[in-house]
Amino acid sequence: MKMLRSLLPLALAAAFGVATAGAAPKGGKLNLFGWSEYVPQAVIDGFTAETGVKVNYETYASGEEMLAKLLAGGGSYDLIQPPDYIAEALIKGGLLTPVDQAKLPHFGNLMPEYLHMPHDPEQKFTVPFMVGTVGIVVNTEKVTTPVNSYAELFTEAHKNRIVVLDDGRELVTAALYTQGKDLNAMTAENIAGTRPVLAAWFKLIKLFDSDSPKTALLNGDVDLGLVWCGEAAILHNEDKKFRYVLPKEGAHLFVDLLAIPKDARNVENAHLFIDYLLRAEVSKLVSDEFPYTNPNAAARKLLTPEQLANPASYPVTDRKLDTFRHIGDSGAAIDELITDLKNAN
Amino acid sequence: MQALPAADAENPHARRATPMGWWLLAPMLIWLALFVVAPLLILVVYSFCSRDDLGRVVFDFTWTNYARVFDDTYLKILARSVGYAALTTLICVAAGFPAGWFIARRPPAVRNRLLLLVMIPFWTSFLIRTYAWIAILKSEGLLNATLLSARVIPQPLELLYTPVAVVIGLVYAYLPFMILPVYGSAEKLDNALVEAAHDLGAGPLRAFSEVIIPLTWPGIAAGVLLVFVPAIGMFAITDLMGGAKVAMIGNVIQNQVFKARNLPFAAALGVVFTLLFVASYLALQWRGRRARA
Repeated sequence: MKMLRSLLPLALAAAFGVATAGAAPKGGKLNLFGWSEYVPQAVIDGFTAETGVKVNYETYASGEEMLAKLLAGGGSYDLIQPPDYIAEALIKGGLLTPVDQAKLPHFGNLMPEYLHMPHDPEQKFTVPFMVGTVGIVVNTEKVTTPVNSYAELFTEAHKNRIVVLDDGRELVTAALYTQGKDLNAMTAENIAGTRPVLAAWFKLIKLFDSDSPKTALLNGDVDLGLVWCGEAAILHNEDKKFRYVLPKEGAHLFVDLLAIPKDARNVENAHLFIDYLLRAEVSKLVSDEFPYTNPNAAARKLLTPEQLANPASYPVTDRKLDTFRHIGDSGAAIDELITDLKNAN
Repeated sequence: MQALPAADAENPHARRATPMGWWLLAPMLIWLALFVVAPLLILVVYSFCSRDDLGRVVFDFTWTNYARVFDDTYLKILARSVGYAALTTLICVAAGFPAGWFIARRPPAVRNRLLLLVMIPFWTSFLIRTYAWIAILKSEGLLNATLLSARVIPQPLELLYTPVAVVIGLVYAYLPFMILPVYGSAEKLDNALVEAAHDLGAGPLRAFSEVIIPLTWPGIAAGVLLVFVPAIGMFAITDLMGGAKVAMIGNVIQNQVFKARNLPFAAALGVVFTLLFVASYLALQWRGRRARA
């Protein structure tokens, strides 16, 4: 399988090489600033083989880290992968170059439900890359009681058996859900109101990890987790004992996007790469390696029934999922609360 | 204790710096100016600024960042960091001194081989070595498997993601920085002095405390500084082996830069942190000078 996967880009390049033979490869480069573990090397190699464009791939582990480095202006990035709420902030701050859809022949592959979302209502600046949720993963061999909600996850019986994302906003959001509040109502009062809930949770948590929460679950150091769906999907593929559920109280949907920073130097190449990623075959390669929810309808047709049946990648829910909005200064209050609570333990 | 020669006109070896001397010094001075003085100045300027909605630094003047540093939460974290670093240093001295002493007392050929063994871990990336520790300490890891199969313990020990794991990680990371300076001092120590102490009737304890310790003190002191200072600021080990639960001051600064995107507050923490070191260093020097006087 691995072998096949590494051969695929070559095959793809050969297939598309014919199609693009008319336009001689222009070359040049593309500075891609993306999430760690999100763009398969095979995709980058395939793109370079086809277009001659050299891709410099620099990574980050959180949207906030991306924003910090982008604003510091250290590198000149041509293409970034912001999550929805960070893209919203970038759009409001006038920090993105509009995406020219005329240069993206494969834009039509995207499912309409992931377009014109609140973060980019005019669909001018962003292109959806992958979509996902944050939910509960359970090792059903170790935990036999049903765990379908935050309340059932954070109970005394699971003390020291839980890993959660090391992400203040995700944790405060989960606490807001249990209080029946809107996840974007991040007022100082609401954030302070989650303190008792979170304080009780923090006593039960074994570790915080955003980069690779699946590791502790696979190692058997913990049995439950509040994690990105992609991590849960990989666990499920590894061993069916790992089950993913969206919490009953509510869960949120995140959309990771492709966007071009205002001061990008290789805007043409950025468009080329976006369109390359939008191709059904390429998008499928991404899904093979990083099983998040694919917003590309044409790519979904290429996925195996098994991939589509993975409950972490394609969760079934009758509840409408919420999305994060830009919350401005509230981030500081969240951070202060989390630091204080971690410190109290 | 013997007074150190003062570096002034009374010193017969002191000479006026020639232009040539300055030229030879220039690369280092430029390096220091660019990579030590300039960043420190930026740090100081940032620490009085505030941030905007997106986390960009706004150049105004405020004391709020410093007021926040002295908030209970951050003082507690600072105290905890000092505590962990002190414990790490203590264990490093206890384990590193005998090791450094032992190596220094071997014949030169053996000595070099032993020193090589101390340094071999540095050939691998620090992060990979930390991941190796995770593989050892995890519940289904090497240590638990061994102890369980030897029937030493009835059920797996919960070591990973606890403060114990953090201290293990810190001691492992910094032990060589104690062994090497101690070795440096012990190697120069003339064994005749130890023998003389014995001849004059000192038992092993007395010879140790009144001859060996004072003569290897420079090495121990250098080792303590080399372990204690970086251990306070360490953040990778607390994240990876402590499960990001036990925050140390390094974690807080890293969080402020990359998660809260509050550079000014991170800068204020950095400035206070630096001042603390300068103050403790000066205090040590002052005490040393008074002891000599």
